[in-house]
This record gives sequence, C-alpha cells and structure tokens, in this order.
Amino acid sequence: MTSVLSYLRLPRRLRPVAALAVALTAAVLPGVARAEQVPSFVQDGTLTVCTNPTLPPMTFVKGQDVTHPEGFDIDVAQALATRWHARLSVITMDFTGLFPSLSAQRCGLVMSGIIRTPAREKSFDAVSYQDTALVVVGRKGTPSLSSMDELSGKDVAVESGTSYVTRLGVVNDALIAAGKPPMIIQQYPTEEQVVQQVLIGRVFAFVSQDVELFYRMRQLGDKLHVLITPNIPDYRHFAIYIRQNPEDRTLLQNAISALDSDGTLQTFRTKWSVTDQSTKGDAAQAGAGGMFDWGAFFSALTSMAFLHGALITLSVALISHFIAITISVPIAIVLNSPQKSLLKVALEGYVSLFRAAPTLLQLLFIWNAVPQFFPIFREQWFTPFLATILALSINESAYQVEINRAALSAVDPGQELGASALGLSRRDIYWRVIFPQAFRIALPPTINEFINLLKITSLASVISLQELLAVTQIQVARTFAFTEYYAAALIYYLVMVFFFLFLQKRVERRFSWSDRKKVVSNAA
Amino acid sequence: MQHETTTNPMISVRGMSKLFGKFVALDRVDFDISRGEKIVVLGPSGSGKSTLIRTLNQIEPHDSGMLTIDGKLINEKTDPIQLRCMVGMVFQNYNLFPHLSVLENCILAPMRVRRMTRMEATALARRYLEQVGIPDQADKYPIQLSGGQQQRVAIARALCMQPEVMLFDEPTAALDPEAIVGVVGIMDELAEQGITTVCVTHEMAFSRRIADRIIFMDQGKIVEITPPETFFTSPKSERAQNFLNQMLRY
Repeated sequence: MTSVLSYLRLPRRLRPVAALAVALTAAVLPGVARAEQVPSFVQDGTLTVCTNPTLPPMTFVKGQDVTHPEGFDIDVAQALATRWHARLSVITMDFTGLFPSLSAQRCGLVMSGIIRTPAREKSFDAVSYQDTALVVVGRKGTPSLSSMDELSGKDVAVESGTSYVTRLGVVNDALIAAGKPPMIIQQYPTEEQVVQQVLIGRVFAFVSQDVELFYRMRQLGDKLHVLITPNIPDYRHFAIYIRQNPEDRTLLQNAISALDSDGTLQTFRTKWSVTDQSTKGDAAQAGAGGMFDWGAFFSALTSMAFLHGALITLSVALISHFIAITISVPIAIVLNSPQKSLLKVALEGYVSLFRAAPTLLQLLFIWNAVPQFFPIFREQWFTPFLATILALSINESAYQVEINRAALSAVDPGQELGASALGLSRRDIYWRVIFPQAFRIALPPTINEFINLLKITSLASVISLQELLAVTQIQVARTFAFTEYYAAALIYYLVMVFFFLFLQKRVERRFSWSDRKKVVSNAA
Repeated sequence: MQHETTTNPMISVRGMSKLFGKFVALDRVDFDISRGEKIVVLGPSGSGKSTLIRTLNQIEPHDSGMLTIDGKLINEKTDPIQLRCMVGMVFQNYNLFPHLSVLENCILAPMRVRRMTRMEATALARRYLEQVGIPDQADKYPIQLSGGQQQRVAIARALCMQPEVMLFDEPTAALDPEAIVGVVGIMDELAEQGITTVCVTHEMAFSRRIADRIIFMDQGKIVEITPPETFFTSPKSERAQNFLNQMLRY
C-alpha cells in the first residue's frame, strides 16, 4: 500500500510515466502483459519478502507500526509485486534469520540492503539493484585515514551476519602478513547498536554502506564523519536474493532492468535520498550523548507499539507456560512411578533433551529447520507467534517436569495411602488430596520459571516475533533514543514481573493451611 | 464376650501370601473372623502384621491364596472402592489431609464416594466427632491439633464411611501415654458397639481387655490364634513365650 501512495505523491511530471508503467503491465495491453512472466517464487498471487527493518533508508520502520516497514527496498519490492500482479507481503525479522528463512521457503525473496557477495551466491541467486560503497566511519574530530592499514590494532564495530566481517578479514590478513596487529572486530545484532558503539566511544570506527551512512548523518547531524572510503572492487552492489533457479533469476533481472530503464528506481532513490550526502536532516533528534529525554521516554511508554509488544510478550509467556504445565504434570507422574517402562525411558529422553538444548537454538530449529522436512510448517498459519509458543511450551515443559516431580515427591506417601483406604478414586486422590499439596510446594519455583519465561520471549525476535524487546530495538533504530526506549521497555518488564510476584504472595497466603509456629511447637 | 462361629464369617483367609520382591511378607496364612469379633494381631517388628491387615482392604493386594469378605471373593477384579466402603482403616501416622479442615477431612469421602450431600455428610461427621470427643475442633486444621486429637479425627473420618470392619494399624504407636489412654478409650467404645475390628498394636492391657482372639505372627506366618487369657497366661508356642517375656521385661 505504501508504494501506491508514494506513486501518487510523485512529482506531477513523473506521474503519467508511473501510471503508464502500471497500466501497461496490468491489463490494457495483454500482449505486453503476457511478456511479463511471473517467477515461481510468487506463490498464490503473493510476493513474500523477508527484511530486517533496521537499515534506513533501505528498510526501516518510520512510524509506530512495526509490522509495516518502509524504505527504498520496500518500494522496489512493491514495484516488483505490481509488475507481477501480486500482493506484497513483508515479513520482518532479525538479520541473521533472513537467509535461513529464504531456505525454509518462508519468503520468495530477501531484500534488506544486502551486499552481493560470491559466498552468498554459492547458495542463492542474486540480482543487483543499487550501487553502494563501503565506508569506515568515526566520531567527529577523528582524523581521516589515508589507508585501511591505519586501522591496525583498533576496535571496529560491524553488524553481525553481514559481509563486513569477511571483508575486514581480508584487510586483517594483509595486516598480519605485514607483521602488524589486526583490527579487533566487534559484532552487534543491529545497525544502530553498531553506530552507538562509536558514539559512546567504545570502538574507534564502524563499517557501513554509504547509503545507510548518508541517512545516519542526517539523523545524527555532525556527530559522525567518514574516515575513509576504501576502494574495494567487490561488494559494490546491493542485491535481491532468491533461491537458486536460473529462470526466476532471469525474470527478476528483467524486471529490475525494466524498473531501472523506466525511471522507477531513480524515483525511489530521490524519494529516500539514497545518494544525498547533505547532513541537514529532517529525521528525529538524536538521543545519543544528550540528556535523558523525558518526552521521548513517555511517548514510548504510552505508545501503542510498546503496549502491543508487551501484550505479545505476556500472552506468549502465559500460553506457553499453561501448555507446559498441562504437559508436564502427567509426565512427572509417570517419571515418579516406580515401574520401569519404555514410555518412561522415552519421557526421560524428552526431558533431558529439552533441558540441555539452548532455548534460542530450539526456536531457530522450529522456525528454520523443521519446515525443510515438513512443508506444512512453512504455510501461512504457522506464524512466529505459534512457532514461539510451540518452542517455549516444549522447552518449558521439560523444566516444569522437574519442579512437578520434586513437588509430588514431597507429598507424604501416607496421603495416597490414607486417601485410597477411604475409597477415593485415583482421580479424586490426585485432584483432591495430592495436587493441592503439591501445588503449594511447586508454586514459588513455578512463578520463578514464569518470570524467566516472560524474559526469554525476547529471544523470539530472531524468528520475527514482534515482542517487547524487538519493538524496542526497531524503535531505537529509527530514533537513536537508546536510553529512553530501553528504560520504557524496562518499566514494562518490571510492571509485569511485579504483578506476578504480587499474585504469588496472594496465592501462597490462600494456600498456607499450616501455621509455621504450630509446626515447630508440635515437632518439639 | 464369646462369639459363636457362624457358617458365614465376616472375613475368611485361606493360604494367603504376599511377596515384596523376593521377601515373603505373608506366608500362606489361614484364619476366619466372625461378624462383630475383635481380633488383635501381635508379633515382633517385621513379622507381617501390618502387611496382613493391609491385604484385608487391598491397599496391598495379595499375591496368592483366597480372601473373602462378607462372603464376597476379593481379588484383582474386585472394585477396590466398594471394598474400602466396607472396610475402614486407621494408620499409625493418622494420614490426615493437611490442606483440609477437620470437618472437610471427614466429609470428603462420604461426599465423593458415597455421594452424600454436604449437609448429610456434615451431620454424620459432627456425630462421629462428638463420639471421639472433639466436637469443637471441626473447623481447625490437622496441624493445629495434638497427636491424640489427630488420631481421633482419623478414627472419626474412617467411621464416617460407616464401615462394617475397622482396621487399626498400630493406632497408638506415635502417641504419648496420656493420648494413648484417650484413643484406647474410644476403641473400647467402638468394640462395645459391635463393629468387627482387627487391630495391630503393642498395647498389651488393651489387647487383653477387648480382644476375642489374639493372632500371633512371626516371620510372615501365623504362629497361633488363641483367646487372650490363654495367650497371656500360657502361650502354646515358644516364640510367643519369648515375645511376651520381652514385652514384659520393658
């Protein structure tokens, strides 16, 4: 939708051109339309694009709605979709999740200001759509460099998962060969964190692309300056990546060439100031280095984006833990029984496996690996929300089994004996006698687990779940108000956790049938 | 208190055995208990006394042999719930439910198993709490009561199911002498009401006073079944003699 509106906002003289392009490809001249064959990655009339919206001006979130990124890449994607008579669907996620998602067929193409590299082309097909250059950037006042060798021994920040590491590796190899100490490369998950490292003075410089830098310069005024633009012949293009398929590659190449020759790409370049080097910006005021901006803090605190993120965090934690507890109680009962059985061995394996595997790995596995074996998991219904709940339920149930086992063992075996001597059914023995007593023992560690789970949901940003921390990071990328947005997120987490601690106190009081003093005096 | 041996005993046991792994806890025991009879089971620790009475309500199902209660053959196909409605049990450690009040302890099984209404069950429970001498403790929690009071609650709780047979598994072993007097008094009263009773105990005076017959056990076997006068004055077996000598020495 964004790009349709942006078409209408084009300078008056360009409008007929754009309209004609759309009209031609649409239906007016069937002969021309037929020539535009649709690539196979456009499925069910939908072009699905994976992007990491923290790389302005290519792809980023301008407003509050984190599910609707904007930028040069998004406009190009929309133009492609329009050419192919398809609907555009954009999936946002961490940068490191982009290529695995493409492999898992979660999206038709990846477009996120990504450099064309030979390494990536071994696994994917690439089509260039924008020239770019590598820049090394430092704080204002840092003297410019005359060669990359001068970075020897210095700290340099880059975004993880990008090709910068490889490129700096080449420089480092040369430095080592010349007997000089190499650069110390620090990797951060998002672009704005990379920039922040330079602003707060932790690293000497960061490496970025010129187009992104131009945007940052306008955003941050004169706080940054280019130290050197090294002449590296490779890595000069942003590319669209697709799964390997020669026909699709040709079709995509043709479409990009057409958008280039009809002036569409140039229009977008102008719109997003991709090549504009002026530092006078219209972007939000930078928070870095300044005092705490209470206005930004309160507007974040009261924004729909944060509230929505917090609700997702809360509901994922609640639903996952509910499922985990439901699964874990029968497992704990089976594991506590004295008889040996195949089921018991299998359940022991389940508990050990999911306690041992890192939660992050389980999330990535379910989102990116499982769909390669079971295509049903790459369909639309399997949302990041569901995937997170699936992963966290399984993971949490393994921990909860241990809590339940301990709690059930702590109930005196005489209770079961006494209850069955009274003729109570198995069901009543558990529900009326054992569970209420085990519940009280299990409650504090269970609430502990829940609080843990509430915070662990932040891992799900890697599979594009827009939970509280993901929302925070995307908002920070737009505004650079690190302190204010982190503080707002902290408040949300604290309020949620304190609420559940309060709830625990209340429930414990309700279940405190034994007066401690009395226990002690009886024992004496 | 002489009872005629009727043709239809309340409890009949023939060649009953119970194994725990390879350990023989009960070794082919035989006996009959008449309706209304009071039986005290005596014997050294580990002789199989507790196992014996636990097989009678099938909390420990027997492995071989035959058990009939009130003419009904009891085996793994028997509905244990029906059996336990008929046979009540009191434990050494009371096994009261700590999360429920005294009254709730008493009405849980009548409501859940006998399908009584709360009102019916409450009326019944108050009657038995009165009988065991603690009518005003109904709303307290077990932990707030003394050991003797807790055992009284356990007896009332078992009685609320209106069983025909009561099993007592060392009911006074965890109590202080003063509390023992109270609990034994209640058991005396029950005995007078004519309920069939099987009691494992070390209370010699009580055994002598209320028992119609004594079952003496050793190493999973029944050594002798005799009236108390005979047992305490001139036991038939040497093992019983040794046992009594030891009991009297301390």
